[in-house]
Amino acid sequence: MVRFVNVTKIYPGQTKPSLQGINLEIDRGEFVFIVGPSGAGKSTLTRLIYREELPTSGQVWVGGINVAKLKRSQVPYFRRTLGVVFQDFKLLPDRTVFENVAFALEVTDASRREILRRVPAALELVGMRDKANQRAQELSGGEQQRVAVARAIVRNPSLVIADEPTGNLDPENAWQIMRLLLNINQMGTTVIVATHAREMVDALRKRVVALENGTIVRDEERGVYGYA
Amino acid sequence: MLRSWAQALRQAVQSITRSGLMSLASLATVSVSLLVLAVVACVAVNLNLMARELESQLEIRAFLRDGVNPAARQALIEQIQALEGVRSVTFISKEEGLAMMRERLGEQRWILEELEENPLPDSLKIELADPHQVVAVAEKVAAFPQVEKVRYGQGVAEKLLAVTRAIRIAGLAMVLLLMVATVFTLANTIRLAVEARRREIAIMKLVGATDWFIRRPFVMAGILLGMVGAALAAGLVYMGYQYLVRFLVTNLPFVPVAPPAELMQPLGSGLLALGALLGMVGSWISLRRYLRV
Repeated sequence: MVRFVNVTKIYPGQTKPSLQGINLEIDRGEFVFIVGPSGAGKSTLTRLIYREELPTSGQVWVGGINVAKLKRSQVPYFRRTLGVVFQDFKLLPDRTVFENVAFALEVTDASRREILRRVPAALELVGMRDKANQRAQELSGGEQQRVAVARAIVRNPSLVIADEPTGNLDPENAWQIMRLLLNINQMGTTVIVATHAREMVDALRKRVVALENGTIVRDEERGVYGYA
Repeated sequence: MLRSWAQALRQAVQSITRSGLMSLASLATVSVSLLVLAVVACVAVNLNLMARELESQLEIRAFLRDGVNPAARQALIEQIQALEGVRSVTFISKEEGLAMMRERLGEQRWILEELEENPLPDSLKIELADPHQVVAVAEKVAAFPQVEKVRYGQGVAEKLLAVTRAIRIAGLAMVLLLMVATVFTLANTIRLAVEARRREIAIMKLVGATDWFIRRPFVMAGILLGMVGAALAAGLVYMGYQYLVRFLVTNLPFVPVAPPAELMQPLGSGLLALGALLGMVGSWISLRRYLRV
């Protein structure tokens, strides 16, 4: 599903690479934690997957596509095959819950019927259906992130990427979001979560890829967070 | 599909009303530059009309040698008629020529009384379909053996045509300059609307919106601003022009003017189309930078 081949990323104006010599393979249906201290390159790694950034060298393959080879005009269509969840939710504050989720379908010119079918289903899954008509800015952080998860999955992507999805949440809400991501994974979607939520990583015993100073220092099935 | 267009339109209106004062300012700018443009167009059209009128008065007089008999004369008329650029050929006998001269002289027609016989030759009045060909036709006519002398507005014709051309070019240059200024004003307004929705645009891009989808409401806002500005300009110029024409017709009746109705209809729709186009180009420019993600 996702393959990094000798990937190095150096941001413009910097000399130290954010990622260096990354080789990583994530299969369809996997649930993978990317862990590491801040600045280790977790976010950069996720950004390379949804082509917010391009690798300086090496190749990033997502679903059989070499993302560096995508034309500018093809990028939107590529992103529609993914779902992305961010630490800061990235919702439109003055729109309702329904509108925020429908947004991901509207940009694809989906029909009204399809929106009316898919959005309530996605909201149901994250337990936000009864708040569909509230504005995003009126919600708690945990609720906002649930809406963001609904937006990420409303198009049935085969890959969901979450970059610090619980970073802004209290433990209870964090667990709720993590449980949602596990549910999504159980339905067959590949899920990649960049996080430094030690407790959850340790409790769930999923595959853990640990980054340090831009390189992979550990890649374990049923791993633990492993930092002091 | 239709629904998403309607939504884009709603967003366009929203982004215009949200940045109310700036929208108003840009509307004013669009109106003023399109107004100047319209005035230039009106002046150009009327100067053209004037030039055309003067041009059409350009005619060639060919004076015939004595003793050209009617049959030969008829043949000559037909030959001239066949020349390229000739609209009509009229025979003016020496008697008619004298009568015309008498009329032109008016009070001073006594000069002619002194004459013992008619000194004027028979002549042909040649009107042209294309005033640009006056020199070419005159030269050809002069080459006929039956023709003694050819007279036309030598020099005057060329000068007049050159002036008309200069006016057209200057007008066009000015209009182009104004159009560029208008585009940038519009671009700035739309840029503000874009700036206000940067976050939204970033999110749109992340969830896979195409550039066109993101652009659409802004381009529509640009078109709307351009068209409303154009409508204002058209209204003003219409009222102004009507007033001016009324003034000219009563005070300077000999000056040819283009009738308001005839001029304003193409001018109005032209301004609207131009306003839309300028708005479109302006918003396109203002968005280019933000879409590179």
